[in-house]
Amino acid sequence: MRVTTLEPIAAVLLFSSLAALTAVLGVGPQAVGRAPSRTQIGWANALAGGLMLGVAYTLLAEGLSGALIAGGLGTLLGIGFVRVSHAAAGTGELDVDELESSGPGGGYKAILVDALHAADEGVAIGVAMVVSIPLGIAMAATLAVHNIPEAMVLSTVLTRKGLSLPRAAAVSVAVNVNQVLLAAISFGLLGLFPAALPVVAGFAVGALMYRSLVELLPESYHQAGETSIAVVTLLAMGVVVLLAGVAS
Amino acid sequence: MNDVLLVFLYALATAVATGFGAIPFAFVREISARFAAYSSAVAGGLMLGASFGLVAEGTAYGRGETLIGALAGVAFILGTKRLFGEHDGQELVFEAATGEGAKKMLLIIIVMTVHSFAEGVAVGVSFGGGVTLGAVITIAIAIHNIPEGVAISAVLRPQGVSVGRCAAWSVFSSLPQPLMAVPAFLFVETFRPALPYGLGFAAGAMVFMVLVELLPEAYKHGDRAQVATLATASAVAMVLFQQWL
Repeated sequence: MRVTTLEPIAAVLLFSSLAALTAVLGVGPQAVGRAPSRTQIGWANALAGGLMLGVAYTLLAEGLSGALIAGGLGTLLGIGFVRVSHAAAGTGELDVDELESSGPGGGYKAILVDALHAADEGVAIGVAMVVSIPLGIAMAATLAVHNIPEAMVLSTVLTRKGLSLPRAAAVSVAVNVNQVLLAAISFGLLGLFPAALPVVAGFAVGALMYRSLVELLPESYHQAGETSIAVVTLLAMGVVVLLAGVAS
Repeated sequence: MNDVLLVFLYALATAVATGFGAIPFAFVREISARFAAYSSAVAGGLMLGASFGLVAEGTAYGRGETLIGALAGVAFILGTKRLFGEHDGQELVFEAATGEGAKKMLLIIIVMTVHSFAEGVAVGVSFGGGVTLGAVITIAIAIHNIPEGVAISAVLRPQGVSVGRCAAWSVFSSLPQPLMAVPAFLFVETFRPALPYGLGFAAGAMVFMVLVELLPEAYKHGDRAQVATLATASAVAMVLFQQWL
């Protein structure tokens, strides 16, 4: 099947769904009886964070198309959205390490945080698909990879809270349903209102960058050494930038 | 005026502009650990944003070359950090600070100075097309350098360095620009192939410095949400600013 023969909206649904499904691979280490160590969880967080920063960079380079004020406004909206949702959900200073000693509420918070993540990741896929289908596919592929370490961390938290492995895998995939939904909605809306592209792209940039800086990176620094975290994050960013450059 | 002298003077003006980045710090009276943390977040954001511009320009000349350059930039910072670490017996002293503070200041000055070499080559190569647009390009680069001065001052000022000396170090970090711009302008064809490596090197070194020094420092003494907000807003503002120029 050639990608170009797909209806654009079908491509959005297909690739965002595939990205959501890859989360199931995150239980891999536990399935083979090797629960990830604290350092490995740190690297997983850094990998996920670096990929998000790379995605934000790509959207900044490709999605704003010179509309700087709209892009800047969108960025502030993105930061504001994450801050407000954190404040409303009480997940502002969530830390995987503290989750282990927290009550059952901690598990729900971890699920909520990942579900909120998936929302702006979905917007990012939708925006990239509007810029060009190959860029959208590159974006979905990046987020598919990103979802694996994210699910690895989430499923580790959930199984330590007593959930069975298949259930933890199912929850890890389910939190990404938002990704498919928001990808389709933002793609559809931008089809109707193409002028909104810089604002929506800016929103995704602000939300993704803020999230990686407020959740993934600070956590990862606690879990592994600063040098190894910096190397993993930088390599992940570099790969995304190269991948997006080839696709666009 | 002679074209070579003109290119040098234009590029020198851009270096001096970097010093203006120290001005906002003349209005700061009290320097607390929290202020230092948020300064690091702003510096980190500005450097992340600036490195986006370097990557965009580098990849336009060659993707693989930019990546190789970036990896060399990371290796350079790791090597420099190790070199500083070896002097543990007698503590590192720089300006008014010793130990970690001195190391951080030296690192940012080295990183920003090295990045100016690559930028100088980029200026020279772009002038190589003719000096008619020189004044416009110079104003653009001069304005672009001001936030880089902010980034340097944001690291130096919390360590007790005076505003004047922050400005002086900012200008110093940009001096390689005029020095590299002239040979690059004269020998465009020789320098152009090296450009993506140089830009990649600068970007790799800057991003790595942000990830290994500035952000961990900011998280240690500042509130996570404020650090993330300042860094994100600074990075995006820097990118938008450069796109506007």
